[in-house]
Amino acid sequence: MKSKINLFLFDFSVLSIFRRGSKNIFIFFVFTLLIFLLSSVLFISNSIKSELDTTLNALPDITVQRLQAGRAINMPLSRLNKLLAIDGVNAVIPRVWGYYYFANAGANFSVVGIDQFEDQYRDLYTKLCDKFNFDKLKKDSGMLIGSGIDQMLKNNFYQGYFNFVKPDGSLAKVKIDGVFKADTALESNDVIVMPIKKVREIFGMKPDEAVDFVIKVANPSEIPNIARKITEIYPDTRVITKEDLKISYQNLFDYKGGLFLALFVISTFTFFMIIYDKASGVSSDEKREIGILKAVGWTIDDILKEKFYEAFVISFVSFITALCLSMFYVYFLNAPLLRNIFIGYSNLKPAFDLPFSFDFQTFAIIFFLTVPIYIAATIIPSWRVASMDADEVMR
Amino acid sequence: MIELKNVTKEFKVGAKDKVVALKDINLHVQKGEIVLLKGPSGSGKSTILSLIAALNKPTIGEVIVDGKRVSKLADNFTSLFRRENIGFIFQRYNLIPSLSAKENVIVPLIPSNPDSNWLEDRLQELFQNFSLESKMEVMVKNLSGGEQQRVAIARALVNNPSIIIADEPTANLDKKLSLEFIEILKKLKNGHNSIIIASHDPLFFDLDFIDRQIDIHNGEIL
Repeated sequence: MKSKINLFLFDFSVLSIFRRGSKNIFIFFVFTLLIFLLSSVLFISNSIKSELDTTLNALPDITVQRLQAGRAINMPLSRLNKLLAIDGVNAVIPRVWGYYYFANAGANFSVVGIDQFEDQYRDLYTKLCDKFNFDKLKKDSGMLIGSGIDQMLKNNFYQGYFNFVKPDGSLAKVKIDGVFKADTALESNDVIVMPIKKVREIFGMKPDEAVDFVIKVANPSEIPNIARKITEIYPDTRVITKEDLKISYQNLFDYKGGLFLALFVISTFTFFMIIYDKASGVSSDEKREIGILKAVGWTIDDILKEKFYEAFVISFVSFITALCLSMFYVYFLNAPLLRNIFIGYSNLKPAFDLPFSFDFQTFAIIFFLTVPIYIAATIIPSWRVASMDADEVMR
Repeated sequence: MIELKNVTKEFKVGAKDKVVALKDINLHVQKGEIVLLKGPSGSGKSTILSLIAALNKPTIGEVIVDGKRVSKLADNFTSLFRRENIGFIFQRYNLIPSLSAKENVIVPLIPSNPDSNWLEDRLQELFQNFSLESKMEVMVKNLSGGEQQRVAIARALVNNPSIIIADEPTANLDKKLSLEFIEILKKLKNGHNSIIIASHDPLFFDLDFIDRQIDIHNGEIL
């Protein structure tokens, strides 16, 4: 039975892969490794980027800090009403927070104060935390901590509480009533959330002060105007818009992305070296075989088709294998070794899970950076040989 | 009909060590004719065969086969011409060593995507004719010289060519196997194919089924 697709040619190509087994196994191995590296880099980068996007969307519209000699100092709450009176401002929220240095571990904790643990956030906290009891938290005036801090405190023999050292040298004992889940650790790893009163106590802040104000704006396009008005009213303030924060986060990400780019460049360079090596010549056996095929009636097109199938099968199987391995490595094993390049959002090393993020564009980039290039590198030298007279090639 | 008109073939054209393989050759081979080209090594016999099979192009002159100027054809058309008209038995067989006997014989047919039932019948017929049925699946590198040559002949015949070309077919065979090959040639004569053999083996010189013997020396027909 005659098939429309030339299965004989395809069979011949597959057979040729096995005939040159050791060489092709080597190529398959190297190619798979390189695609694995490339795709792992891109998957991690994507995963972090999607996490970053979520963070960026949650950023405040405007943050206002007070400066003294260029240094940020506390903001008096008395300024709140004037800011609220600006047209377009929906809300002004004073924030009380700070970095607490834990000398035993040599790490900073980001301590964030909230007005109180309100019932309306019960579901949210329950969703964010492991082993969490809201009523106990409310009763204790305790704290919620990131998983990194939890681990660090356990390593330092703190079980269920932590003693903060206040500016006057006395201790403030705060109970741990919840730990943020590991999959939020990229943002929450070094974070402690506790009532504002406790934070003021720990940092020695006056009750009529906040660290900064965050401002919610009704119309995002009005943000630059409102920012200008704030600096007019209070010239001693620094006004940071969502856009500024985005740029700053983006810079941080790009710095880390730069490290990945270096890895990416190295692996791509290696890949092209191998491709160049392959493209720079056809072995004498392959050359002779091409001559024989031409001599028995194969056209250049037939030879190129055969070489195409051969290269496609090798590169596509490598591509699929590498992608599967890479997904397993990044999303199941959490990218050991490579992920260390990306962490550093927080002062503690976060034990976060890389969230799965499917991006067709990434698959397309990896595919087009590898498979067609390999196919071209295989076909071009074969085409050069096939274009010669069969007699000359076989000689 | 095969016709070589004022054919000159030079290798390394323009170089100091240029080789003139053929000098102004004229040759006609009728349909169904068996022609023996004889002469010492390096006389130009193989070059004539390559030009007829369009494996190479003349430097000057032209090669016409069945009215077609094969020396003027573009590369892809010369391949098609060979696929449809030529069965070439090479001196060193030119088989693909890592393929089985059967796979080697199929090779010329692969691009035309043949009907698998027809192909199976054709292979059975050929392998029976050349007593190779038991060797079909054996890698050719594991076959004896005689067996390899029979595989090469089977490959040359698989597409029913109108022209069979054999370049020094007995050069690598002992006398017994050479005589066997001559028997095969005799059978092919009955198939009304044009056969052109290049050889300096004296075994061919007195064969009654060869229609014409042509002496070649230093690239010239004597």
